[in-house]
Amino acid sequence: MTAREVAIVGIGQTAYGKALPGTAWDLALEAILGALADAGLEPADVDGICRFAPPFEPVSEPQLVRALGIPELRFFAESPLGGEALGAVLAHAAAAVTAGLASTVVVYRALSQSRGGRFGRADGRGPGGPVGSGKAGGDGPDADVVVPEEDNRSFAWPYGLMSPGQLFALWARRYASVHGLLDEDLTRALGSIAITQRAYARGNPNAMMRDRKMDWDDYRGARMISEPLRLFDLCLENDGACAYVVTGAATARRLRDDPVYVLSATQTLSPYREPMGIYVTGELLELFPPSTAERLFAEAGVGRADIDVAEFYDATSYMPLRSLESYGFVPDGQAWRYVTETGTGPGSPLPVNTHGGHLSEAYLHGMNGVLEAVRQLRGTASNQVPGAEVALVGAPAGSAMILAR
Amino acid sequence: MAVVPGMTELTAPYWQAARENRLVVQECQSCRQLWHPPLPRCPHCHAAGPAWRQVCGDGTIYTYTVVRHPTHYAFADQVPYVLAIVELAEGPRLVTAITGAAPEEVRAGQPVRVVFREVADGVTLPYFALVRYQGDDHGTA
Repeated sequence: MTAREVAIVGIGQTAYGKALPGTAWDLALEAILGALADAGLEPADVDGICRFAPPFEPVSEPQLVRALGIPELRFFAESPLGGEALGAVLAHAAAAVTAGLASTVVVYRALSQSRGGRFGRADGRGPGGPVGSGKAGGDGPDADVVVPEEDNRSFAWPYGLMSPGQLFALWARRYASVHGLLDEDLTRALGSIAITQRAYARGNPNAMMRDRKMDWDDYRGARMISEPLRLFDLCLENDGACAYVVTGAATARRLRDDPVYVLSATQTLSPYREPMGIYVTGELLELFPPSTAERLFAEAGVGRADIDVAEFYDATSYMPLRSLESYGFVPDGQAWRYVTETGTGPGSPLPVNTHGGHLSEAYLHGMNGVLEAVRQLRGTASNQVPGAEVALVGAPAGSAMILAR
Repeated sequence: MAVVPGMTELTAPYWQAARENRLVVQECQSCRQLWHPPLPRCPHCHAAGPAWRQVCGDGTIYTYTVVRHPTHYAFADQVPYVLAIVELAEGPRLVTAITGAAPEEVRAGQPVRVVFREVADGVTLPYFALVRYQGDDHGTA
């Protein structure tokens, strides 16, 4: 990808809430129409769609083409593995535009956990439906639950390892033991992230937790979910949708004065390093090869010091902690000290999750972080980082993007 | 009621061995590497037809978590329980649960040994127990 060849020209979203009216389809349409209006485009202009693959994204391309009256979609692509799609969908959209396969590409993510199943539950109410989430066999309430063999679930679920929160508790504990942290050190680090993000959310009218203050007593007093992760170390579960529109740079400049350019975007996969794959033969903490982050920065032509704001995918508070290290902002094993001493709040060297993140704004599979990065680079964010010019949005497994104004 | 593994041609030998109280992992018949979970071919030399090799059942706790909030109704009356990744003496790691120990006794790096528990008719899972040494307040294993 060549930096600045494509740009994000429009963003749109729904409100975020525990149980919004409307299906995921309704929500997707609202977000996409919002993004198109923000860009000054019509649905008929859309000729490409990139999205998260099922079972995560419930709204299909045919549903959108019908409902939006798109005359012809000539490029559409899906990216698998949940959060691993975050940078991939943008990489595919940008590649399609630069290759001439499409001119105006919509990227979206819609979520109705109140209707489609909660990510934090594993008993038939998860996003995978009957395949991914229990109750796949047996009769009656006392019947055994047979776990289908898929992505090694049958080797984990029978022991009760079923949710992302439980998995990331294993990572957080490993982090503590590798780096010699006491329980209190880890609590301080994770709590610093959760409390900092809550403070950002308090300044963000879109944030679900905008009216809910949180101090150390609140954080420590919350119930333990899967040690060492407490309630407020885990993301929100909610309904909502986000969308953005990608075009070529020349088109983008015609459409608006402040396009947000794509400098680079990555997807990555190596053995057992798919999100929540735990059978790596090397160090569990290394969620993607270091070469991925080097590629992200090299293709963008910027260094770590150039990043003004970072939006890290945070299904748990552990993820931004480790992402500071894995994307190269802080040396390995130092982020726990960094987040407690230097911090990631307003005025810090690298503000992180300035919208409140998944912990305190809403959970949209990282897409709300992309929208926040765009607002930061336009200078319109609620918690604006003064003069922000370059932003990084990254998932813990290495799927990421660098954007610039 | 239990949560039990579905079986495929690839995974059934693992669970059949567990029923016989044997812990097995795949072994390449060409380069002799071991791995888990099972794969159709050796991931190192790509030889077909890996065999199953019994391992000694000793390992160490690579990492763990104490689950205090269940995410599935099948585990509602089992909290707290201790999930762990155990690194086998032979190298491969597996997901398991630690049995016969209070949550606060469990630490990363502790030696553990496999124990087998039938969780449903005809379904046995390998669990791991802390290896307790003589002189330990808790007695011997």
